[in-house]
Order: sequence, then C-alpha cells, then structure tokens
Amino acid sequence: MIRAQGLTKTFGDRTAVKGVDFTVEPGRVTGFLGPNGAGKSTTMRMALGLDAPTQGSVTVNGHRYAASPAPLREVGALLEAHAIHPGRSARDHLRWLAASNGIPTTRVGEVLEQVGLDSVAGQRAGRFSLGMGQRLGIASALIGNPPVVILDEPVNGLDPEGIRWVRELARDLASEGRTVFISSHLMSEMALMADHLIVIGAGAILADCSMQQFMADHAASYVRVKAPQSTEVEALLVGRGLEVLRAGDELRVQGLDAPAIGELVGTQGLLLHELTLVRSSLEDAFMALTADSVEYHAKASQKVAR
Amino acid sequence: MSALQAAAPPQQVAAAGFGRTLHSEWIKLWSVRSTWWTMIALVILGAGLTTLICWGNAEWLASAEADESPGSFITWGMMIAQVCAVIVGVMTVTSEYGTGMIRTTLAATPARGRVLAAKAVVVTGLLFVIGTLTALLGYVGGNWFLDREGIGMSLDGDVARSMYGSGLFLGGLGLFSLAVGFLVRHTAGAISIVLALVFVIGNMVLLVPGDLGIFLERVMPGNAGGALASPVPFNPHLLGAWPSFGIFVAEIAAVLGAAWFLLRRRDA
Repeated sequence: MIRAQGLTKTFGDRTAVKGVDFTVEPGRVTGFLGPNGAGKSTTMRMALGLDAPTQGSVTVNGHRYAASPAPLREVGALLEAHAIHPGRSARDHLRWLAASNGIPTTRVGEVLEQVGLDSVAGQRAGRFSLGMGQRLGIASALIGNPPVVILDEPVNGLDPEGIRWVRELARDLASEGRTVFISSHLMSEMALMADHLIVIGAGAILADCSMQQFMADHAASYVRVKAPQSTEVEALLVGRGLEVLRAGDELRVQGLDAPAIGELVGTQGLLLHELTLVRSSLEDAFMALTADSVEYHAKASQKVAR
Repeated sequence: MSALQAAAPPQQVAAAGFGRTLHSEWIKLWSVRSTWWTMIALVILGAGLTTLICWGNAEWLASAEADESPGSFITWGMMIAQVCAVIVGVMTVTSEYGTGMIRTTLAATPARGRVLAAKAVVVTGLLFVIGTLTALLGYVGGNWFLDREGIGMSLDGDVARSMYGSGLFLGGLGLFSLAVGFLVRHTAGAISIVLALVFVIGNMVLLVPGDLGIFLERVMPGNAGGALASPVPFNPHLLGAWPSFGIFVAEIAAVLGAAWFLLRRRDA
C-alpha cells in the first residue's frame, strides 16, 4: 500500500505537486494518469525517497521508503528505462541490484526469464532496443519479489506485443495481491490495464475512483436521432422525461437506450432516418478533465479543437 | 498469494549491512570494460614510462654532470598514470549520473552515506593495490637500467616507501576524484576540474613568486599527494613526504565531506 498525505513538492517557484492525498491499495492495478509534467514522476520519486517532499509525506507499507533495510524486497520500481549503464550486461545489472539488497542470485535468472531476456542476458545493455531496455527495467523492479510495484510509463517504446505483455503482467501482479501503481499519459492504455484510476493534472488530483466509475462519470454517451418530423419526435421524447438536445437537424437523447427510443417513436407512427449510440471516448474525457492543467498546448491542436 | 509469501517480511531481513553495498559496488566496478581498460593503461603507463625514462637517463644520471637524483626517476611513470586514477574515480560516480542509474542505486540503498562509503572503499582499495604493484613493476624495470650504470637503488627506506606511497597517492587521488564526481555529477566536468587542479594549476603555481608561490606549490593536491610517491621529489620546496601527504588527506576529507553533505541533501 502506498499512502500520500498532503504531499507537496516545489522546485524554486514552481509547485510540481500540490498537497495531494491518495492511497494506492493492494490487489488491484492503480493507474496514475496525467499529461506530461503533471507531477506523476515527481510523486513516484518522492515515494521512493529520491526526492524529498517539501511538505507532507508519502509512505509505503506504512513507513518511509528509506526506513526499509532492504527496500527492493518491499518495493520494486521502474523509473526510466534508459537508466542503465550501456556497457554493462543485463545479467550484471541485475547482479549488482540483487547484491545490494541481499537477494539470492537465483532471482537474476528467474526475472530474466520472466521478462523474456534470458537469451540476451550477456549482451551489453547499450545494444538493447527501447523495448528490451524497458523489459530490463521491469526485471529490475521484480528482482526482490516485492509486494509493491511502481512502474513509471512502462509501455513507452514497446511494440504492441510488449504492451500486451506489460498489461498482462500488471494484472497478474495485482491478482497475486500486490500493490501495482502504474503511470501513463495515455488514457486508452489505462482503460485496458487499470482497475482504479488516479488522475493528476498540474500537481493536483483531479479524480480518484474506480475505472468503471470514471467511465460512467466522464465518458458521456447519447443516442443520435434523425427524423423527418423532428419537432414531433422531440416533443414525444421530452414528454417522456428524456433529456433532448437539438444540434442542427439531429437530436441528442439521453436517458433511454437506442432500441427503446426506436420502439417508442415507432409505436407513435413516426419515421426515423437515423438511430445511433454515440459514446465520447475516454480519451476525450481525460483531455477535457486535464485541459486546464496541460503545461504546453500545441497551437495547431487548439485550432482543430475550435 | 504464493509469490507474495515467498518475499520475506521486512523485519526478517537482517539489517542490510555495509557488506552488501560494498559487494554491489564491486560488481559494478568490474562489470564495465572501461575499468579494465583504465587499469591496463595505468599499469602500462606507470611501469612502462618509468622503465623508459630510466633507460633514457641512466647514463646521464650516473655521470658527473647530473643535477637530479635517480630517486626522482624511479616512480616517474606514476605521474602520468595518475590520469587513470582520476578517470576511474570520476567515472565510478558520473557514469551513474549520466545514465540516471544513480536513482536505481539510491533506491536500492537509500542510506546515501553508505553508497558514498562503499564506492570510496572500492575505488581507493583497487587503486592502492594496482598503484603499488605498478610502482614495483616500474622499479624492477627502471632499476635494471640504473643498475647497469652502477646507480641502482635497493628496495628499502624511501624507495620502499615510494612504492606503497604510489599506491596511497593513486588511491587518494581516486578518492578525491570520486568526491568531485559527486559534487559536479558530470563526467567531462569532473575530469577536467581534477586534471586542471593536478596538472595545470599544480604546475602553474611554480610561476607565483615568493612565499605565496612556495605555499601554493606545497598545498596543491597533486604536489602534496605526489611527494609520498617519489623517493626524491623533483620539487625541492615540498614538505617531507608524510607531512605533505597529511595536507593531501585533509584536502580529500574536505571535498569528501562536501560531497557527502550534498549527496544527502540533494534530490537524486
């Protein structure tokens, strides 16, 4: 379990993390979602005792990370995939990590096999592709068989097969009862991986709820209705207490599903030209939620949005 | 849950001792090729150049017109080989900052002072051993030529001291470089600073006139530390071998203290 209380970090006059409170529970995958520069990595670095909080605290398994005598057995973390000496082999990288926490060397072979790098274990990490580096980073996180796993942007640079692998790994780790905390700036990725979602923007928590709850709250859906006698149809639907919004020649109806609307209109002898369920994507919901907190807006995309 | 039960509860993990950190740093040191190459270069430069310079100067040193002592030549190669000590000391630290691996290191061992201490022990120990052996090798090679001219030196007294003195000097210089590495956190920057201090500024102070000049000659780290590594230093202004080395040790302690203080304070 990871718990942040009033966690704050300032760099000079810029506040990267603004007094956030959250709890990451075991047994599920918690997605930590936010645009670049939202404070995800800073929060994770504070959880690992690398950056000192300006105010507040963050504890792992009930105590400060640095208080652990063998932290790799408690918390495994992937921070940056390229944070590996290019001249050192994957096996040697894991060997020194294991030695530093008194982890048996047999774990080195085990995690290499687990991430699928056993055949290239003797190669220098500098020759690794981005995806292989990412796998080695994940192997480093798992070396101590820790009950808490923190992965910062683990799917960056992975091919589709690798992305699916990370997704399944995260689910497996959570199903074993571990605390799994994964950051990403991609809503689509989180939607497939996370059970719980913590959304951060400009250093503040914008949402902290289950994935289903987030979908229900933010991924608005409506039924698009087009009819030749649209005024009559509108009156009929409003009369049934449904929310109807007129947009040009189409009606956007909320409160009843498409087949039910079709039957309702049909029994009144009215014609329909279109009846479509429209679901705004989670990506849109995420963009809308974090729109005010994004550090750098691309001017072009703003134009498109208008 | 079986995988979780396999992980030992934290309280059962014996307090991770200094030995683990030391072992970890030892693996790091030898698992990159640059360490091997630098050590090989150290031996070749240190022993080879000493042998070469003794071969070239033996006849002159044995002649009446010689105004230098053979003792100044018997560890001459170590003056060049010290570059390798600087490189190893700096790289042990800055290669981790360059790749961001330092965060992995400090996450694995949150007691930062222990990381610094383990790196210090590994680097200093290695350079002491290799430095002493290289000096001995240079003595064997160089003294063979000096012996031919009848000015060979026996391996005792100041000559013997200059052998392990070379080891101590290189170990100290590696430690000094390591500390600068932690302060600067950048390979090129740290190597430049140490080499400038030892080679450039250390020799430029010879141009400073008067007592100030002599004072500076005595205290510049390369000069103060190097006094122990030669039976008869070229520079007659230096204090005795051990008092000089005491100055060097104090300088190392100061830089190391600053490195320790900042390493604990800074965000990684």
